[in-house]
Amino acid sequence: MNLIFRLLPWLLPAALLGGCGAPPPAAAPGTVRIRWAHDPESLDPLVQPNQYATEATNLLYQSLLQIDYQAQQPAPALAETLPTTRPEGDSVLLVTYRLRPAARWDDGRPVLAADVAFTLRLLHCPTLPTEGARAQFGFIRALLPDPAHPADPCRFVLRCRGQAPEFALATGDFPILSEHALDPGHTLRRWPLAALADRPGTAPPDSALARVGRRYLAAVLANKLPGTGPYRLTQWQKDHRLTFERKARWWADSLRPRPAVLLARPHRLHYLVLPDDAAAALALRRHALDVYPQVPAPLFARLQAAGPAARLAAATAPSYDVLTAGFNTRRPALADAATRRALARLFDADGLRRATQAGLGLATVGLVSPVSRAFYNDSLRPVPFAPAEAAALLRRAGWQRPSAAAPWQRPATRANQPAQKLTLTLRYRAGETLFETTALQFRAAAQTLGIGVTLLPTEAGALTEALHRGDFDVYVRTLKGNPFVFNYAPILHSRAVGEGNFTGFGTPASDRLIEAVAAAGPATKAPLLRQFQALLQAEAPLVPLFFLPTRLVADRRLRGLAVSGVRPGYAATALYWPAAPAP
Amino acid sequence: MAQLIRPTAGCALAWGWFSVLIISALAAPWLPLPYPPGTPDLLHLAAPPSAAAAHWLGTDGQGLDVLTQLLFGARTALLLTLPVAAGATLLGAAIGATAGFWGNRGLRVPLPAALLGLAAAMWAAAVPWLLTGPVVLAAGLACWPRWYRRCPVPLDSLLTGTGTLLDAVPRLVLVTAAAGLGASGRALPLLLLFTTWPETARLVRAQMWRVRVQPFVEAAQAAGLPPLRVWLRHCLPHALIPLKSVFPLSVAGLLGLESTLSFLGIGLPPEVPSWGRMLNAAHSDLGAWWVFVPPFLALASTTLALAYIANKSKHSFNN
Repeated sequence: MNLIFRLLPWLLPAALLGGCGAPPPAAAPGTVRIRWAHDPESLDPLVQPNQYATEATNLLYQSLLQIDYQAQQPAPALAETLPTTRPEGDSVLLVTYRLRPAARWDDGRPVLAADVAFTLRLLHCPTLPTEGARAQFGFIRALLPDPAHPADPCRFVLRCRGQAPEFALATGDFPILSEHALDPGHTLRRWPLAALADRPGTAPPDSALARVGRRYLAAVLANKLPGTGPYRLTQWQKDHRLTFERKARWWADSLRPRPAVLLARPHRLHYLVLPDDAAAALALRRHALDVYPQVPAPLFARLQAAGPAARLAAATAPSYDVLTAGFNTRRPALADAATRRALARLFDADGLRRATQAGLGLATVGLVSPVSRAFYNDSLRPVPFAPAEAAALLRRAGWQRPSAAAPWQRPATRANQPAQKLTLTLRYRAGETLFETTALQFRAAAQTLGIGVTLLPTEAGALTEALHRGDFDVYVRTLKGNPFVFNYAPILHSRAVGEGNFTGFGTPASDRLIEAVAAAGPATKAPLLRQFQALLQAEAPLVPLFFLPTRLVADRRLRGLAVSGVRPGYAATALYWPAAPAP
Repeated sequence: MAQLIRPTAGCALAWGWFSVLIISALAAPWLPLPYPPGTPDLLHLAAPPSAAAAHWLGTDGQGLDVLTQLLFGARTALLLTLPVAAGATLLGAAIGATAGFWGNRGLRVPLPAALLGLAAAMWAAAVPWLLTGPVVLAAGLACWPRWYRRCPVPLDSLLTGTGTLLDAVPRLVLVTAAAGLGASGRALPLLLLFTTWPETARLVRAQMWRVRVQPFVEAAQAAGLPPLRVWLRHCLPHALIPLKSVFPLSVAGLLGLESTLSFLGIGLPPEVPSWGRMLNAAHSDLGAWWVFVPPFLALASTTLALAYIANKSKHSFNN
C-alpha cells in the first residue's frame, strides 16, 4: 500500500499526460463520421433550405432516380429502370416509369404509383411553403396509368408540358411520400394535378387541402414522416450533431445484384456540425472525424501534404457549384440592369478564383459550367474586373457624384420620392472565408469609387430568412448545380420571387426564355441556353463569379469513396471500413 | 511619495509603450502604409513577411496586410475602450459616491415626487395603465397637506441591487446575447458602458463609506455646510483617489473583452480591423505565425503596461 502512495505523485501526472495525448476513441465499427459546416435547419423533404438538408433527406426518403456518384449519372432508385420517353404532338412529353415491386414502406406496404401522384399533389398544396418545388416540377401536368399495363399499380406515365430531354431525369428527382400515412382518406385524389398546379393564389381556401397540409407539417415537425430510405434519424442535437441509424430491415436488402444507389453500408452515420474549418481539420487529423467534404483550398493543401503521415486521403474534382453574387432588384437603386452591370464589374472574379482556389475552379460567363461544352456560351467573355468602366456605366445609368466626399445619387423615378443614393448592404454566411474575402474585395473596390458598402455576415438560418424577406442589397452565396438538368425557374423565374428567387428578378421575356430552356428538346436546348446566358449577363440580377472545385479529405482506410462534381461530392451510404463487411 | 516623483525603468517602459500605441493609433490614417485597411491583396494570401511585396509583417488568409490591420486594430481598440472606460468610470463614480454618501436614508424627497417618478418609470416600462393609474392618483393625493411628507430614497440598495443583477450574468455572455438579439456594432460601446460601471461604483461607494465618517467631514457637517457641498468639496476628492489605479485596469479589461468579442466574430463589423479578429484569422491558419504573433504581442504588451501602471498608481496611493 505504501508503494502505491509513494508512486501516486508520479503515476497521477503520467496518467493525466497520457490521457491528454491519447487519440480519441475510434468510431464504432460500421460508423462513419462526416463533417457538416452548419445545421441542416429542417428535414422537410419538400423544402430543403440547404445542401445538408438535401443530404439528410436523401437518407430518409427516396426518389424515383438518384445520382450514382461512381458513374456520375442518375440511376434508378425507387424506379426499376430509367424512364422511357415518348413525345406527344410538339409540346408534350410522356415519361413512363415502373416502380420496383420490392419497394416497401416500413410498415410493409408497397410503394405505388398512387404515392407518386399524392406527392406531386402535395407539392402543389397551397398551405405548404413549397413554391420552389412547384416552380421546379410545375411542368408535370398529370400522372396517368400506363396504357400498356393499366392494371399494374407500379406503372405510370407522367405527362409533361414541353419536350426537354432532361425531363426524363427531372421527373424522378423528388422524394416520394406515403399517401396512406398522410392522406388515408384519399382526399387529394379529387384534385387533378394540373388543376392544383394552376390554382391561383387568390382561390378560396380548401379545408381538405389545408387538413392534409397540416398533417404533413405536423409529421415533419415530429420527425415522424415515414420514408423508404435506408436510415432513420435517431438523434438531432441542433447545431451539434445528427445521427442516422441503418434500418435493420430495409426493402432494398433483398435486391440482388444491389445497384450502387441502393447501397447503405454504414450501420450508423454521424454528421458532426463543425462550423470552424480549423477545428474540423484538427478533428480529422486526430481521427475523430472520417470525412471532411468541401475543404477550403489552403487547408486542403496542408492536409494533402500531411496525407501519408496522417493516414489521410485527399481528392478533388470540378464541381457544378458556382460562387454567385446576387442583387436585390426590388430596391429602386438596383432595379435597372445598367446599375447592376456596373456593380458586377467591381467583383474581381479572376483574382478571387486564383487566390482562394489555389488555381482550381473555372471562370464562367453564366450559370452553365464550362465543363458542359455543348451548352456553355463561349462567345461571351466573363464580366471583367473594371472599376473605371463601372464608374462610366454608373454615370450612363444616371448616377452622379456631387463631390468627391458625397455618395452617388440620382433623381427619383417619381416626383414625390427622395433622390436615390447608392449605398449597399452585402449579406453572406458568417464564418465562410471565401464569402468574406469576396465581400471584402467588393467593398474595397466599391470604396475606390465612393460607394459605401456595409458588410453583414449573417448566421446560416438567419441569412435564409433575410434573403426570403428581401432584407439585403447584395448577397454572396454558392448556387449548386448539376450536369443533368437546366431548370432555372426556381432561382430566376418571377413565379419563384420570395422563395428561391431572392433577387426578385423576372420579366416576361426572361420567364419565357427560362420556360423554353426547361422545355426545350435536344435540337433547341443549346441555342436557348446560350441565349439565356447572354440575357443573364445583360440583365445581371446574378453575377456568377466562378465554378468551385470539389475538395474532399478522408481517412485513408475508408473505402467506397467516389469523389464527384455533383454535391455533396461523395455517397455517404457507399462508405465502409475494410474490417466491417458491408450489410 | 518618492515613487511618485522618481519614475522607474518599468514605469517608463509601460508609459512609453502606451504613448507609442496612442500616437500610432491616432496617426494610423495618415501613416504612409502601402495597403489600406480592409482591402485584400488577392495576389498575396497568407504570405509571410516580405519587403518585395511591401507586406512588412505579411498577410493573413484573406490577403489583408498584417501591419495595416495591427495599426488600425490599435486605433479600434483605443477609440473603443478609452471612451467607454472613461464613461463607465464617470458614471460609476457618480453613482457610487452618491450611494455611499447618502446611503438608504440620507436622501429624502417629497412623496408626490417619488410617486410620480415611480409612475414615470412604470410608464417607460410599458406597465399597463391599470397599475400605473393608481400610482399617479396616489401622487395627487400625497400633495394634500395632511398626507404630505418626505420619504427616503434607498440609493444604496438600488445601486448594490443593480450591480448584483448585472454581475449575476458574466459580461461576455451578456454582450454575446445582446449581439445575438440584433445589437449592432454601433451599440457595442453603449453595451460595454452599461455593463462596466458597477465595478467602479462599488469601489467608490466603499471608499465613500470610509471618508464620510472622517473627522474633517463631520466638522464640515457640524459647521452647517449644505450636504451637497460637503459631498462635492470634502468627500468626493478623497473617494475618487482609487480610480487612478482602477481606470487602467478597466481599460485593460475592456481591451480583453473587445478582443474576445472580435475573436468570436461578434460586435464589430468585419471591415473594422481588430486585434481579436486578427487572432481569429490566425487560428484558421495555424502555420502562419506572422498573423498570430503581432496582435498577440500588442495585446499582451498593452495589457501588461496597463496592469503595471495600475499597480504603480496603487502603490503611490497607499504610500
